[in-house]
Amino acid sequence: MKFAHMADCHIGSWRDPKLKDISTEAFNKAVDKCIQEQVNFILIAGDLFNTSLPRLDNLKTVVTKLKELKDKNIPVYIIPGSHDFSPSGRTMLDVLEEAGLFINVVKGEVVENKLKLKFTIDEKTGTKITGLLGKRGSLERSYYESLHTENLENEEGYKIFVFHSGIDELKPKEMQNIISQPLSLLPKNFNYYAGGHMHIVKESKIEDYGTIVYPGPLFPNSFSELEELERGGFYIVEDGNLKWEPIQIHNTHKIILNCNHKTPELIEQEINDEIKDKEFNNTIVLIRLFGSLENGKPTDINFKSIFTKLYDKSAYFVMKNTNALTTKDFEEIKIDTKSVEDVEGKLIKEHLGQIKVENLSVEKEEAYTRELMNILSQEKAEGMTKTDFENKVNDDAKRVLELDVD
Amino acid sequence: MQVFDLIYGSQISQQNLELISGLSLEDNKDFDFMDPKLRNYMLARLKSLATIKGENAFVSKQMPDFFSEVREVLKEDLGFLTKPKNPLFIGNLRSGSNVLDVPIYLQGDKVLSHHILIAGTTGKGKSVLVSNILWSAVDQEYCGILVLDPHDEYYGRDKLGLKDHPNREKVIYYTPSNAPAGAITLKINIEQLRPTHLEGVVNFSPAQVQALNLYYKEYGKKWIESIILEKKLQINNAFMPETLVVVKRRLLYLLDLDFSNNQLFCNGIFDLNAGESTISDITKELEQGHIVIIDTSNFSGALEILIGSIITTEIFRKYKYDKMHGTLSEKPVISVVLEEAPRVLGKEVLERGPNIFSTIAREGRKFKIGLAAITQLPSLIPREILANMNTKIILGIEMKPERQAIIESASQDLSEDDRTIASLDVGEALVSSNFAKFALPVSIPFFEEFAKKDIVKDDVKKEFDGVQLS
Repeated sequence: MKFAHMADCHIGSWRDPKLKDISTEAFNKAVDKCIQEQVNFILIAGDLFNTSLPRLDNLKTVVTKLKELKDKNIPVYIIPGSHDFSPSGRTMLDVLEEAGLFINVVKGEVVENKLKLKFTIDEKTGTKITGLLGKRGSLERSYYESLHTENLENEEGYKIFVFHSGIDELKPKEMQNIISQPLSLLPKNFNYYAGGHMHIVKESKIEDYGTIVYPGPLFPNSFSELEELERGGFYIVEDGNLKWEPIQIHNTHKIILNCNHKTPELIEQEINDEIKDKEFNNTIVLIRLFGSLENGKPTDINFKSIFTKLYDKSAYFVMKNTNALTTKDFEEIKIDTKSVEDVEGKLIKEHLGQIKVENLSVEKEEAYTRELMNILSQEKAEGMTKTDFENKVNDDAKRVLELDVD
Repeated sequence: MQVFDLIYGSQISQQNLELISGLSLEDNKDFDFMDPKLRNYMLARLKSLATIKGENAFVSKQMPDFFSEVREVLKEDLGFLTKPKNPLFIGNLRSGSNVLDVPIYLQGDKVLSHHILIAGTTGKGKSVLVSNILWSAVDQEYCGILVLDPHDEYYGRDKLGLKDHPNREKVIYYTPSNAPAGAITLKINIEQLRPTHLEGVVNFSPAQVQALNLYYKEYGKKWIESIILEKKLQINNAFMPETLVVVKRRLLYLLDLDFSNNQLFCNGIFDLNAGESTISDITKELEQGHIVIIDTSNFSGALEILIGSIITTEIFRKYKYDKMHGTLSEKPVISVVLEEAPRVLGKEVLERGPNIFSTIAREGRKFKIGLAAITQLPSLIPREILANMNTKIILGIEMKPERQAIIESASQDLSEDDRTIASLDVGEALVSSNFAKFALPVSIPFFEEFAKKDIVKDDVKKEFDGVQLS
């Protein structure tokens, strides 16, 4: 048996014109590799898309590729992730499943007020697959807490559990601020745990739990991920043997400079020295500056000139990060975070408790805020009238806030 | 007033009493006291606790008048025992063996940061008291509590415990193996360890300490691996080869490590792969005012202390940083519950050098970190540390030297209470605190009864958006 495990494709995540198609390109490459490797099936452990209603151009490419897999009789099993799940139920994933392009394995029934998951059986291999979706702010935890585990743990045969959550025990130090849940909430005795959500490449064997795997994103989704991972990839699992397949789209080159006691002019000089004898053929260049400037401010560094030189040397894309660059002249307000979700999470936490509502705990306030932000971030679908869209947003908000008013 | 002793009194002289007793012993039944009930009686010795005027109580400066009426205290007399802003529930007020319907709360933020000593003989109710305190602290925002639990009794893996609290999401439970659903498997990445964490845990010689530090300086996070695999140092002959052999052997044993073919293997809670964020996660939970319980029931004493030392060192470092940057006032008080406290605070241990717990005992309160030290042998703890523990919850103690150690360091004058302490029954305690007007006699309720009143049946219909239900 041979299958592929990918996660966090985040189709449509980059907005810059030069990078906006890069996640789709990575997806295409991954699918091509799966076809070439003749895998029996593909698992996508959440966040195929960056939003529940992706842009049409991205969607078209993905549908074409999924159709190709369908025609080649390679089934795709997915779960919704924290980005492409919609609490209102309006997600493109449902449409694609209706079209038979993949199977959402998050299926079950409610028994005694608890969730009893059902297995989806892969016809060719007899593999039994089930899993749970990911939600914003890791709100899926309550599902795990209400999960019937006996039927899952006692089922015979080769079993795969697909999940989209951070795991406390496996979280790397640099991700200490992401919300995660204990390993003990996952049902035991599965052969393979196909993880998503944490953008790390990690395989762990833990007693009672089989192999727990995070393949990382198909393409890094932020500056820090590009720095850390350089490229994305996914796993191909053949008869229990794991192989991580990298997806190379562009090379990356990192320029990391400690700016302590240096002037903006000196920093510019040092960067120029570093790049002067190099060519950056089709490479993504990352410039990270940190430390405290001797004088002046970060904006005094002539990045425009540096960028121009890099593009003249055929760099594909240049990015800078000066979050940790301070100046003696004045203190910047710093937000030490790595993604939009992290910034949102941090800001929500900072403002919790400012509105006093009876019986509203800070935990509930946080959950409401995250759900509401999710609702308000939805875009109006094509063909939808403004009034319908407003009504939908209102209805969703009422449902989240558990309001029973018109 | 508090009755602190009961003695016999008689209007008959001692000489006559002894004469009558002697004759009675010789079986001469004809002798008896005249009006025995009028001539012999019990004398209660009382001391003044407080003067109550309306809703206020003051330290007594004068004796009651002669022939003042004496009666038992009533709930209505105790209006001054109010619930403070940050309450820490201890028990219900006791008058002798009668329990009054007056809950006793101390000012939790002060009490916890100024350290608590809980002393009592086995079976007198220390665990029940701690369970009650933890249960009521779950609802409070003002404190985070780290519990090193060598008997794995507070979470309630197989019985009623903190896992059953209505706010159970504020109770975080780490256990080394077979974690029940919702609990976290305790794994600490080996790269998180520093040589300072071993202070007071393992008694290394100065040369061995130097070896540890040199390896840490040269190999950074990989220092343990480098010692085990005997990697070379740039400095030659910094210590004898035997030193490295001993250090290596002790680390292998303490951390449950193995090596083979120049590769390191972890068997216990220390891990090469998992547990990178464990220490920062625990610190974060405590900073959010949660209760973190570490099940140390399967650990050796040294390993348990090492775990406590790693976590406590990190919390102390963070709170020192917060104090320096003016953000400490926003943080909750953190209390570290230490069972069998003399293992880390005992005179013998501290003679070998200070450790993080003795540092906290001395200066933790400046940084809003306190200890809750539990012991049956308070006399093993140095006097200056006992004196720093500004709240003492004293349960029954039969051994005189142990009572004496507490009485001598109590916040109130307990010199007359020796016999009271000796005769405290199961679940009875005397609370002496800088934050109480007088030593309070309390009765500790049974945990089951105390907790069950808060438990409500969870019958809210659950929804599972996003799951295709059939």
